[in-house]
Parts: sequence; structure tokens; C-alpha cells
Amino acid sequence: MKPGLAIQPWGNYSLALAASVECLRVEPWTQRSTTPETLRLGVEASPEFACLSFKACTGHFIQAAQAGIRYGVMVNSRGTCRLRYYREIQQKILKERGLDLFIFGLGYDGIKPPLIRHFDPDPIPFLQCCARAQQKTLAVDALERETWRVRAVERRPGDATRLLNECLADLDRARSVPEIRACVRTFKPRFAAVPIDETRVPLRIGLLGEATLLRDRYLNHNLEEILGGLGAEVRNFFLLGDEMRNIFRIGLFSRNSRWRLKRLARPYLENLVGGHALDSVAHAIRCAQEGFDGVVHVAPAGCMPEVSVRPILRRLSQDLDLPILECSFDEHASHVGVVTRLEAFASMLRERQEKKPRKRP
Amino acid sequence: MKNSHYLGIDVGSISANLVLIDAGAQVVFSDYRRVDGWPLRAAQSALAALRAACPQAILAGVGATGSARHLVAAALGADVVQNEISAHACAAIHVRPDVQTVIEIGGQDSKVTIVRDRVVVDFAMNLLCAAGTGSFLDAQAQRLNLTIEEFSRQAVRSARPTGIAGRCTVFAESDMIHKQQIGHRQEDIVMGLCLAMARNFLGNVCVGKEIRPPIVFQGGVSANQGMRRAFAELLNCELIVPEHHMVMGALGAALLAKRSAPAASRFRGFDVCERAIDTQAFACGDCANACEVIEIVDRGEIVGRSGGRCRKWEGRAGPR
Repeated sequence: MKPGLAIQPWGNYSLALAASVECLRVEPWTQRSTTPETLRLGVEASPEFACLSFKACTGHFIQAAQAGIRYGVMVNSRGTCRLRYYREIQQKILKERGLDLFIFGLGYDGIKPPLIRHFDPDPIPFLQCCARAQQKTLAVDALERETWRVRAVERRPGDATRLLNECLADLDRARSVPEIRACVRTFKPRFAAVPIDETRVPLRIGLLGEATLLRDRYLNHNLEEILGGLGAEVRNFFLLGDEMRNIFRIGLFSRNSRWRLKRLARPYLENLVGGHALDSVAHAIRCAQEGFDGVVHVAPAGCMPEVSVRPILRRLSQDLDLPILECSFDEHASHVGVVTRLEAFASMLRERQEKKPRKRP
Repeated sequence: MKNSHYLGIDVGSISANLVLIDAGAQVVFSDYRRVDGWPLRAAQSALAALRAACPQAILAGVGATGSARHLVAAALGADVVQNEISAHACAAIHVRPDVQTVIEIGGQDSKVTIVRDRVVVDFAMNLLCAAGTGSFLDAQAQRLNLTIEEFSRQAVRSARPTGIAGRCTVFAESDMIHKQQIGHRQEDIVMGLCLAMARNFLGNVCVGKEIRPPIVFQGGVSANQGMRRAFAELLNCELIVPEHHMVMGALGAALLAKRSAPAASRFRGFDVCERAIDTQAFACGDCANACEVIEIVDRGEIVGRSGGRCRKWEGRAGPR
């Protein structure tokens, strides 16, 4: 039997991440979103002041260990935030609880990352796997974009989400690059077939902030769906495909390259403050330029980078006349409270739109 | 239609409020009562009071707001379900068209809404902390063995308010006890507490917001003379407390119902206030969230559902 490997959950991208480790001759173990049970376990085991993302991830590894998984992998890159210590702390928590699960980091550690050294895959299947994972990531990006667009104008509430889930299931079954490509080609016509209301003018709302919360629909209380239901076409600025381009710095000229974002944010923020804080500032400016109606800034309570850019965002909101709703989440956040704020925000934007429509490029 | 009226109902954490307006948007009837843990029953008894007072009213539209809005909307049959932030702003703008800032403090939440040219441009709601809301004032009044009305009267009499730490309500309480023990007068402590609460509100909820007069102060806490005085002192201007300050959310909901002008109201009739409306829960098994969904049952028939993380069940009636 193949050994199992627990992968950090990352919303719909979990299936792409799962595809990436198949070459290691392991069985990927992941979830598409945190569950109440995961969070309960995580909250119980984590220090109180750790952020929500940490708690969710810890809970996830505990669940994996309880399911008999012996290995895990998570991002622990340098220069982000407290995330760089998370792997070590989680490892310690697991050990203290008597759980036998070793977490590999994806940090820089010699030429070969320790994960690859351990499982030692053959180079050719390894590269094939990477290609598959990359294709799947891009496919999920495309799916997300379609869903945001359709959800705001669908006639029957829930159609877009249902179709998204079907497409993700198909994508998960695709085993090779040509299969993935074929699957992606079906997305556009399938979404075009959803009955929509053409008379509705959707609001345009940008979602920015901390990556895990932007992607995990349990942790962010289903933000995208709530806003979609209120007739808002969201744009979630964390797309893993775009992000990978940043990391590998391939697309120096792509719109999301680090260089571009830095230049955009410069009037407000010159230094990196960790995490995706600089991205938040840059994307907020972009939202104003592109005529978005508003922005929702999402962060776990106590998130160091995102909380430090909040005053900047407030200033930016005044300067650029861009409404920004700040949402902080922790395990105690009340769902009703979140919904109330989002509803009020949407109805405020609606009123503004009627009084003075924003220019749409 | 002559005699057509619009009903607004606002069921929140502490109180259930109801307002009936006529076709000219004048308040015909209003009711404020405590929920005491039974949102649906409170709404029903408020409705019974309305029926007793205006038996001839014909409801052309019903608006529901407050944190229990979905439950109440399903049980009574509402045409408009709106969040309380928008409802409160709508009522304040209706009462004072030149309003620039709305301060609304309720049982468990406090909000500030910035209005310019009759349009809401910004708002904030207390987050992660409910210091300075009605519940806390209630609890402290009880601890001092005062009714909330006496508390309010005492605060106005104070000549030299005591300084009270207002960051955390538990520490505010410790500080209050300490001040009592060293012999401060009760009315000064009470007023000091109001000032601390107002300062906390201005420092936490209103941070970064441009507070400009005219300011409308509404919600349950606006009945408290001490809080009115505290805000007036800290903001250096007189606050406007509208006539129906206790029921502004319900007034807003009624106005929104009137504005939406439904062709035929979904109101299920005054009889609902007599029936025992029951609720039952089931766990939705469609995903790993396993949300608990509440079904509202009236005479054996499911009239609505609420709860759950996705919108799948929201407001859906009929069998599963």
C-alpha cells in the first residue's frame, strides 16, 4: 500500500496540490475546505493567539494523523509572516499529543527539498506530475473566474456553485495533461448554459487580504457565495496560478508580477511588510483604477501583515473614493454578523452606484 | 389603496420592535418589548398588540430586520428582509434628511453610519468586542441595584463624573467597584461609566470615520440620558434623538417595505400571532460542513428555513 501524505488544505486548489504529489508514489490526503471538526481540533491544540489559518491547518494535520497518515507537507517559505515558524510549531504540537506525523517543509534547504529527497521520485514522472499540477491549478483559476461572473447574475440561486462542484469533480478525475485540457475546454460552454438574468447590473467587488482565508470557504464564511447572492461579481485577488508566476518570477511582464505590484503600491507602501500585505495595497489601487464598486479586505484576527496595512487601506479608501470593508475572522466570528456586514456593504454600494455610477473601463 | 399600511418589524438580541406606518409614511403604531430569549414569541405578541390597537389596518407590505430577521420573515411572511444597518440608516435619513452621521447602539452591537447627501457612504459595526452596548449597561445597572431608567436619571445629575477605565467591560466593572469602595458618589460613577462607554465607541467603532453633525442617535441605548450627555460632551455638539428612537430599525424596515411596494403582500395574516409556530432542526448532509438548518413549522407545514453556510436552504419552503 502506498503511504499517505497530508497536504495543507487550500480551497479548491487542494486538488491541484494533490495531483502534484502523486508522482512521489504516495496517496494524497486533503480536504477542499476546513470543516467544523477540523477547526475544533485545531483550536483545542493551538495557542490562543495564533491566527485562524494556523489553527485550521493544525487541526487538519491532527485529523490526518488520526486517519493514520504518517507524512505531511506545508509551505514554510521565508520572508512571509509568522508562517515561517508554523511547520516547527505544528510539528511540536503533534509530538506533544503523541501523534506520529512528520511535516515536510517546502523551504529552501540545499538543492533538493527534503520531501523530494525522502521519496526520491524518478525525474520523468516527477516532471510530468508537476506539469499536471500546474495545468490543474490554471484550470481551477479559470473555473473560479467563470463562477464569479455567473454567480452574480444566475436566475436560480446556487446554479453556479453546483456547476463549479461538478467541474471540479471532473477535473479531479483527469489524469493527464491532454485530459485536463479537454476538461477545461468544456468549462466555458457549460457555464454559458446557466440561465442568467441579463438585465441585472452586478456590483464589482474585489476581495483581498490573507491567502488562506481568501481561499477557504469555511473560514471566510462563504464570502464569495454570499456576495454573489447579493448580486456582486467578486474578484478574489488570490489565484494560485497567478501566485505561482510570482514565486517563480516567470512572468516578469505579467500584471501580477512582484515588480509591477511594488510599483503600483509605491505611493503608499515602499517596503515589504510580509505576507500578502503589499499585494493587498497594490490590488486595492488597481480596484480603484479599474472602477470596482468596493473592496472587502479579509484577514484573520491578529494577522500581522494584513493588520499593519489596514491604516494604509483606510487612507487609500479616502484618497481614491473606494469603499473598503474590513473583515477580521477568528473562530468566534458570528456568521450572522458577517452576513449582516456584507449585506449592508452591498446595499451601500448599490445606493452609491445608483446615485453616481462608477466609470467602467 | 386607502387604509393601506406598511409594517416593519425588528427583532434583535434584546428587543422586538414593531412599527406601523400609513401610506404617507406617518407612524401610526409602535411597540417595543423585550425578547427575553423568545424571538418568535416576542414578534407574535407585538403583532397581537398591533391587532388590538389597529384592527382595521390592511397590510400592503411587511419588512423584517434585526438579527432574527430570517426567522421572523419566514414565520410572519415578509416582503422585504433587510439588514439592520441599512434599515437604521433609511429611518434616520427619513426623519432627518440632512443627517450626516448616525450612531446606533443596540443590545449587543453598536454601529456608526456615515451619510452624505442622503446616501450611506460608509459604516462600521463593533467587531470582536461588544463593550459599551445595551447589555453591559443593563448588567451594570442591575449590579448597582438600579433599573435602567433610574440609571439614566442618576447620570444626568452627576456634577463631577468619575473616570472609569472603559477598554474592557470586565475591567470597567472592577474599576467601578474600586471607585465605589473609595467613596465616589453613585451618580458620578454612573456618568463616568457612560463617558467611558462613549469614549470606547468613538475610539473603536468610529476610528478613521469623519463624524460630522447633524448626528442622529438611535437604538435602545439612545433612551439613556447619560449616554446622550456623554456623546454630547465628547463630540461637542447636540445629538438629535428622534421621536421614535427606540424603534428606528422597525421604522426603516417599514419604509423599505413601502418603497418596494409589493403587488401583493406575503403577510400570512394576523392569525399567525395566535398559532404555536414551531421550529425543528436537521443536519444538512450535503457537504462536510454538516450545517444545522432550522425549519419553521406552522400547522404541520414548513413555511421557511434558515441557517446553513450556503444559501441553499435560505427562505426555502415546502418539503425537503
